[in-house]
Amino acid sequence: MKKFISALLCVSSFSFASMIGLDAIGQEQIAGGSAAMAGRGFAGNAKTGDTEGISTVNPARQAFDTKVSLNLNFLLDVSTADRSNSHFTKTDISMPSMNLTFPMGDFGTFGVSLWQHYSASMRETLEDEKEQWNAEIEYQSSIYELVPTYAIRLPFLRMVSLGASAHFVMGSFTRRLTLGADNSGIAKEDAWATSDVDLSDYVHGDWDIKHHPAYYSFAVQYRGRMASYFFSFTTPYTLSNTLDYNFRFSELDTLAPTRKTREIRIPAMLATGVNYRINKRHNVMADVAWRAWNRDIDNVAGSWNMTQMTKTQNDFNISVGYQRDGSDVFYDSYWDRMTYRAGAWYKNWYVEDVSEIGGAVGAGFPLGRRGTTLDLSIQGGVRLTDDDHNWSESFIGIRLGLVGVGSWGKARGQ
Amino acid sequence: MNKKKFILFPLLALFLSSCLFDTDDDGLSNWLSDQGMPSSYDVQTVTVPDLKPVSAKVFENLRPKSIYSSGIFGATSGMSHDVVFDFVIDTTVYTSFWTGLKKADSAKSFLQLRLVDSYYLFKPAPSGILPVEDDIELNVSWILSDKLTGQEINDLASINDSAWQYGLTSWKAKKSADTTASISIKAVTSSKTVSLADTLLELNLPSALVNDIRKKTCSRRLQLRLSAPEAPHVYRFYGPEVFSPRLVVQNSETGDFLRFNTVRAAVIPKNQEECKDCLVLHGGSLDSLEVEFPSKPIMKALSEFYGDEFPYNVGDSNDVRQAVVMAELTFYRDDTKGESEIDLPIMVRNGSYVDSAESVVFRAENYIPDRLRINEHGHPNMVFYEGDSLALQVTAGMRNFINKASDGRSFRMLMRLERSVLLPSDSSYSVLIRQDTTFKDEDKKEVKSIRTDTIPVFFPYTNYARYDFSTIKNKPATLKLWLASKRGENTDKKKIVKIDTAKSVKTEGKKVTTSTARGGK
Repeated sequence: MKKFISALLCVSSFSFASMIGLDAIGQEQIAGGSAAMAGRGFAGNAKTGDTEGISTVNPARQAFDTKVSLNLNFLLDVSTADRSNSHFTKTDISMPSMNLTFPMGDFGTFGVSLWQHYSASMRETLEDEKEQWNAEIEYQSSIYELVPTYAIRLPFLRMVSLGASAHFVMGSFTRRLTLGADNSGIAKEDAWATSDVDLSDYVHGDWDIKHHPAYYSFAVQYRGRMASYFFSFTTPYTLSNTLDYNFRFSELDTLAPTRKTREIRIPAMLATGVNYRINKRHNVMADVAWRAWNRDIDNVAGSWNMTQMTKTQNDFNISVGYQRDGSDVFYDSYWDRMTYRAGAWYKNWYVEDVSEIGGAVGAGFPLGRRGTTLDLSIQGGVRLTDDDHNWSESFIGIRLGLVGVGSWGKARGQ
Repeated sequence: MNKKKFILFPLLALFLSSCLFDTDDDGLSNWLSDQGMPSSYDVQTVTVPDLKPVSAKVFENLRPKSIYSSGIFGATSGMSHDVVFDFVIDTTVYTSFWTGLKKADSAKSFLQLRLVDSYYLFKPAPSGILPVEDDIELNVSWILSDKLTGQEINDLASINDSAWQYGLTSWKAKKSADTTASISIKAVTSSKTVSLADTLLELNLPSALVNDIRKKTCSRRLQLRLSAPEAPHVYRFYGPEVFSPRLVVQNSETGDFLRFNTVRAAVIPKNQEECKDCLVLHGGSLDSLEVEFPSKPIMKALSEFYGDEFPYNVGDSNDVRQAVVMAELTFYRDDTKGESEIDLPIMVRNGSYVDSAESVVFRAENYIPDRLRINEHGHPNMVFYEGDSLALQVTAGMRNFINKASDGRSFRMLMRLERSVLLPSDSSYSVLIRQDTTFKDEDKKEVKSIRTDTIPVFFPYTNYARYDFSTIKNKPATLKLWLASKRGENTDKKKIVKIDTAKSVKTEGKKVTTSTARGGK
């Protein structure tokens, strides 16, 4: 167990792969980064089931869960940024979310999620004596949210549920640019003093919400025989990022840092979605989530010619998906018990002139009789940019999700 | 297809495709550039001449110091060094000797000190150590206790050294007497070895002392102080950890004697300088010279260079717009007022006051050797050497000073005479033993050591010296800064134009010379 927890912490210390928005708030992990959701193009927040679990967009959904489920998600992502014949690739491993739902029958369903909502990660080294390049760049930014959720079906209208969640924000930001000296402009006899001295432009800080302990999501879900719908509203909030700017020569040899706090106004989010059951186990689904950004984001910046501001745009995500549910009869063939998924999405990033088009296919592999499942999805796509600062990216990735199911609180055979 | 293969194939496909997602050579460099980040930091230098200190003062360290492996007494280079021994005279044993001594018409006592032969015979040391032929005047003072019980005798061994030393600062002798001593230290060569003619230095003590001792037959404690402020040298002897100094009490009639090892010993230094206003540092003691420079000329030079306001007064006023990568202060040096026991260059070590955890602490500066300069001219931070300048690196102090200059502080540094250097042009700046190297022999001729010889870079013994830094008050120093800046391209472009058009800028009669280093990519 200790090894498992160590591995989890190790993996979760990494983050997603995009190089866009590093100096703002990083990349958003849609829908909690769930492997099952990713397999159907991040659509299906309206889909209900025994073990669908927590939806970070739609907290009302889990009211229809009947079994306790624990869900862990992993992502292996490869991105290539390129611009006019220059390109570079980086690979990341991350753990976007961990979720637990605990249905309590008529008393509703309680859930808790640890979600890496926004993240920036990069660690690259550049060394070329001939060109006098000697740099190491590192970004590690994680905006984590601890999200307790509660949902309950209305006692007089059982096909309707209400849900709410509180998002407690935490996390840290680190940017370290370690550089070697370029002595080309000083007298040759002065070069001895700096030729072996590396220094780091070091920025470190914490994430928090200004004035409030958390921000909140409210949702209503309708489950019909064929069609299910949801509508959710997430309150706006202001992220507060306190940063210490410093020069470092070593861990112990630093300057007294200068402290600045940047405030980022995250707008309210409206989200809705539909799931339509075509046949007994075939579902098509579509989701939309939308945020109206009306303020630009102050970047971390603070050094050289780094841009001071990230211009924003309306941020929305449109996704469509398909899922064929697996049979829950253990004696059916394995292929029949598997779940199949496919989907696509178009996302307008919060960063101006950045959009993402992606597609994914996925499958759920039942493990044993109790309903434990391994979800796998393979995703790919492009992030398109149209400014001087960000480079366009191609990405592919694999997501793995492990769903453990239990029937706590129920007598055997119930 | 089984389950495992079904999972493995996509994973394999992903890794294979990741190979296709390649990185070209300058991809990251171009990306950094598009983000407004450099691939290396540009080094810029700023020189601030004519820096005059606002204050300079010497802090003396005249506290008694314990003698463990070796000690000294005598005088040299403006300092005298008294030595104090702590003995226990136990008369409860060898009672017949004490009875005889008490009845004898005459008795004598003397001290036996084992000379530090490794110092006196140190091969690479320059001339001047041997021979030593001195007739010195010796003042002997002592405190002889009353009768002590057996328990009190045992308790003497457990007295804390530092507590004893503290008591020595207010030494009040019960008795004293003057005497003279002849000291002869010379080397003799026999076959292939060189040794001291006599490694045991015997100092006759006044008869009043032995008479005092033999007056009563009881156990007593004797604290004995030797003082030779007019001696031409200091004399080095082994301490209790190597060869204990001994007090010998002898019955002159019978020739019988008893020897007493010292329980502990200490040296009490005393400043004999006549000029009280001079900034004299003494080698071998922990004297330090604090020099304080004003903030204004340094801030002004930086302001001229960057075109920004200095000191920085925005927000919390901690200035991280640039960092000092190296700082060097060059003082004028005049060795003629100095005096050195051994004719060797002495390195000056220095440190600065820096902020640490809400307080200000002293931090010794790291010394980064400029190997080309050292190979050609020797270390720049030495006195008693060729040249007329002393260059001290003040990087950590200047880095901290500019970072926190908004609170109106001045720049303060400390300096101290450190070790003597045997190989002043050895850029390894190492304490390692070297082979096949060149050193100057007793006649100051350069000799290459043979393969079996080993030469330490530093002289392994203390060089008792005095150096007068008074010129620091009158002759201005020059500060040179190597800087890395976070400023962006636009600011730098403005600066480059300014500097290109005026390589040196006259400011209120002070010349601020600057050079700049833009990346040449």
